Amino acid sequence: MLSINNLHARIGEKEILKGINLEVKPGEVHAIMGPNGSGKSTLASVLAGREDYEVTEGSVLFQGKDLLELAPEERAAEGIFLAFQYPVEIPGVSTTNFLKSAVNEIRKYRGEEPMDAVQFLKMFKEKMAYVNIDQSLLSRALNEGFSGGEKKRNEIFQMAVLNPKLAILDETDSGLDIDALRIVAEGVNKLKSPDNATIVVTHYQRLLDYIVPDFVHVLYKGRIVKSGTKELALELEEKGYDWIKAEVD
Amino acid sequence: MESKATELAIKSFQAVGFPTSKMEEWKYTSLKTLNEVNWNWRELSLLVAESEGLHIISLNDLLHQSKSFKSVWEAKNPILDQNPFYDLNEHLCQAPLVLWVKEGVVNENPIQLDFTLNGFDSNTAFQSKLIVYLEKNSELSIIETVKSEKGKTFFSSYVQEIFLSEGAKFTYLKEQDLSDDSTHIDQTFIFQDDKSHAETFTLSLNGGILRNNLHFYINGEDVVSNLNGLYVPAGNQLMDSHTIVDHRMPNSESNELYKGVLMDQSTGVFNGKIFVRKDAQKTNAFQSCRNVLASSKASMNTKPQLEIWADDVKCSHGTTTGQLNEESLFYMRSRGISLQSAKTLLLLAFAQEVINKIPFEQIKQTLSDKIIGKIKASNDLTI
Repeated sequence: MLSINNLHARIGEKEILKGINLEVKPGEVHAIMGPNGSGKSTLASVLAGREDYEVTEGSVLFQGKDLLELAPEERAAEGIFLAFQYPVEIPGVSTTNFLKSAVNEIRKYRGEEPMDAVQFLKMFKEKMAYVNIDQSLLSRALNEGFSGGEKKRNEIFQMAVLNPKLAILDETDSGLDIDALRIVAEGVNKLKSPDNATIVVTHYQRLLDYIVPDFVHVLYKGRIVKSGTKELALELEEKGYDWIKAEVD
Repeated sequence: MESKATELAIKSFQAVGFPTSKMEEWKYTSLKTLNEVNWNWRELSLLVAESEGLHIISLNDLLHQSKSFKSVWEAKNPILDQNPFYDLNEHLCQAPLVLWVKEGVVNENPIQLDFTLNGFDSNTAFQSKLIVYLEKNSELSIIETVKSEKGKTFFSSYVQEIFLSEGAKFTYLKEQDLSDDSTHIDQTFIFQDDKSHAETFTLSLNGGILRNNLHFYINGEDVVSNLNGLYVPAGNQLMDSHTIVDHRMPNSESNELYKGVLMDQSTGVFNGKIFVRKDAQKTNAFQSCRNVLASSKASMNTKPQLEIWADDVKCSHGTTTGQLNEESLFYMRSRGISLQSAKTLLLLAFAQEVINKIPFEQIKQTLSDKIIGKIKASNDLTI
């Protein structure tokens, strides 16, 4: 599904990703862990198409297409979803209107008929149950004045509506208390299917108690320096990142 | 139409000429090139449909029939710094439209006042005038649209003088949708007595040059004055709002919200003055002007001015001019919304804050649609 090959990326003069290789297949959950500043969020941003980063080398294929050639909105239409670490407040645009625009633009890209108001209502109702989100939150301006937990829940609601092939969760656990974390993780788990894949970017092991990964990768200084199964995450939790740094440096 | 008196008025205007950027009040809105045109000056009479609760009357008759009107009319003292248009308009408008609402009469439905600059050759300078007198506890709303014919060089000067007696309530929505060949100078003077409530919406959609001088004179206590403005210039359009809120008496409040979306190489001007005179204790006066430059070639000039002589007041003002937030655009795009749609959504949402305050439901959607149309037609939404 996703094939990252020797990916290098920089912001300004600073090279942050220095040769990432990663294969993700349908149905898999991959966790990307690593100390602060290792390039985790950069990887998530580059995959979603954030323009601050310049890819200098390597390739990313998504379902056979050259992802790096596509604009962020085209990547979304192809089935990539990035849950933001810091969801942006959009004053004056309600979550429902925002998602109606998004869904219908994606449908247009795929050559499908637009959805009408009745269909939206039905779909929103169905997806709201996934993340325990309240109707009142959805009619308010997107993320404006939302608590940290509400923002993250809203991200997962958007994910449920857009039904991506590859979901990338960028530090979704940051700023969440344990209850909110559980609700968000349950939402992610419900959306899992043999056809889609998830990349969980996180600093702590905590989230992985709820979203159990098939593979764990440790990112350090812009490279994946260690890969393993979920036991690797537990080991990191116990011993911290220093032993990995020591192995590499 | 030119009698001796009007001829004289035109002559004395020509001696001064159209204002240029050398004058402080016209710093960003030079009308210098209009001095090169040989104008045909004429009055444009305004019409509204008759309706119950509304007296359409001549100025002379109103002065004779209402002593109270006569006294406020004679006491009016608008601020006319560097304003050569007011006097000229007064001399040239022989038959202003005068609307009179008697004590306690409430007009539930807004009246429609539409006029279009057309029917004459290029180089016509139109003058028009509206006078509104609301007696005690009466209510009136006006929805006004001003348009002009394309392809003709027109100048328009439109003056409104509005007098609100004690407890009167007045709502005034002005939609300006003129062609790029027109220069329109709009001057609104609202004089408010005790407990009166006035709200204006100045919606500048199109026009070569639009200049709005909007003055509120708070001559009583417990007065509420709400000023809302929205301007969306594109191409080479210039839209200029000069507002004055003059708190002359205590215990009143004014709220001013102006927003601008500036596209292409258009220009915007906001100059908002608030005076709080010595007697105007316990005044609450708020002013906010926020702008988005939707193009790197657009420009906005803002100048808030507060002059406060009273010591027990609450006043605030703020002006901001910025660009669309890159992070917001990326967020929207990452959900599948195209860059162009994301910009349109954000700009409309920005403008919507003013539209949402409009109390006439039937207008909101068409206004939003017009603004969406204009944003989509803009060919230079660089940010």
